[in-house]
Amino acid sequence: MKTKLILIAFFISGINLLQAQDSTQAQIQSIKDEIAIIKKPVQTHFMLRGFTQFGFDASDENINFNMTSFNPVLLWRHGDRFLIEAELEMEYMSNQFEINLGYANASYIVTKGLVVRAGKFLIPFGTFGERFHPSWVNKFASQPLGFGHDGIAPSGDLGIEVRGGFQLGSSKLNYSLYAVNGPRIKDGTEEPEEAGMLMFKNETENNNNKAIGTRIGILPLSNSSLEIGLSAYYAAPGSSHSPFEGDPLNEDLNYENVTAMLTAVDLSYVKIISPLMGIIDIKGQYSLSNISNAVYYNPEDTSRYTFTNESSAYYVQMAYRPALAENQILKNFEIAGRYSAYTTPVGSLWADNKSQITVGLNYWLSWRTVIKANYQINESSMSGGHGMSTMTGGNGSMFQLHIAAGF
Amino acid sequence: MKTLKYFIQTAFLLSLILMIFDSCKTSLAIKEKTGSVLWSENCSRCHYSPDPEEYNDAQWDVIAMHMRVRTNLTQEESEKITRFLQDAN
Ligand code: HEC
Repeated sequence: MKTKLILIAFFISGINLLQAQDSTQAQIQSIKDEIAIIKKPVQTHFMLRGFTQFGFDASDENINFNMTSFNPVLLWRHGDRFLIEAELEMEYMSNQFEINLGYANASYIVTKGLVVRAGKFLIPFGTFGERFHPSWVNKFASQPLGFGHDGIAPSGDLGIEVRGGFQLGSSKLNYSLYAVNGPRIKDGTEEPEEAGMLMFKNETENNNNKAIGTRIGILPLSNSSLEIGLSAYYAAPGSSHSPFEGDPLNEDLNYENVTAMLTAVDLSYVKIISPLMGIIDIKGQYSLSNISNAVYYNPEDTSRYTFTNESSAYYVQMAYRPALAENQILKNFEIAGRYSAYTTPVGSLWADNKSQITVGLNYWLSWRTVIKANYQINESSMSGGHGMSTMTGGNGSMFQLHIAAGF
Repeated sequence: MKTLKYFIQTAFLLSLILMIFDSCKTSLAIKEKTGSVLWSENCSRCHYSPDPEEYNDAQWDVIAMHMRVRTNLTQEESEKITRFLQDAN
């Protein structure tokens, strides 16, 4: 009797065990299925990222807390060939909040060395605007002279572009060729002190002429440490109508035939130098703007004047980080120095000769988070009547302590 | 104009010196390089480079395409680097 009972108990527990095994197996299978679904290569990927920089600026006159950037970036990839990128630029400085569309464009990889891109994109005129402006990439808290507001060159514009890169032996070559809406010339009707300046922020096109531009980059060394780039940009920034239409005194002033030719050279050299136990990073860009002569009207003294409309801007910078040092703290420090200058046309009301020296000590918390301590000396000759803030020029020195982070 | 002259001259001189320096070493074409070498040579030219573990495979796919378009990398470089990052994460 006892053995019978034991046998029955065994039988029942055996069935239970089998059932349990079955259900575990089923569970494992369903987990496997779920993993397979998750791991299945999907066609579409979204990524939300961006960067920010904030801190304080102390000049001789005041101390200000600023948020120089908060830029969310959206990336969307579809399949193997299609990418959309979009960036919003938000800035909160001197109690003013500004929001702009940095870029929003679609790229399509046509073949090996050919990508077609359309929409609003960063203009590859030199390299600073396209490659080094994000606050976690830029080694300094500020931009070099000649970039940003009232800068010499365009940063972003609407249009179409072809670009790509290919190999040439053990060197590399890359190119970009684009047509965009282009700038408008400031005719002095709104801001007389800026007559003759190019305005790149030009959402409502004032003419049918597009601007065209190109950049060719050469990486002569097989380890890609050096890149030299040449850029050119041509635009007809005037409108076909006189801005003074209806004003019998000045109706004859017309900027239809004005042309603008911009050129730039850029250089980048980044290399680990073992004897120096660290990374040397050298960057530079020289930009030149040539706008054909035109006659402008000065409402202040009702005179007419003209000038050789030539501007130039350049920066050279160098940074060193002892990244190979054993010391965990030391290896995150970086020292950096930058010289930049911006010359605007003599004879114009915005004539100026600005220069700027910036020295910096950075501490890298991660590959995209950095604390920047900068000391900056600005000099300006300001022979025109156009006022500039200490942020972009002016005279005097400034200390900046900022934190920049990519996310 | 003078400054342009000096800038170009300096850039040229610098690249010449570097090229001579570099030609002393055997230079490999992209074809002969591994993904990890291409990654270390290309991905810290503009910013410090994230480790492979920073992102998952799907994210690397998006980033690789973004960087290829932004920096005009060749297709071969981009593919090799992506494979390296996805294997090493
Ligand atoms: C020519 C300069 C340049 C090179 C070379 C470069 N990057 Fe970038 N990278 C950038 C810039 C500029 C951004 C910021 C884009 C933005 O926010 O508009 C960026 C952003 C990133 C980001 C943040 C996510 C994203 O896609 O925006 C990652 C990750 C990244 N790069 C990885 C890489 C890797 C990996 C390589 C090597 C294949 C590489 N980068 C090579 C300039 C460069």
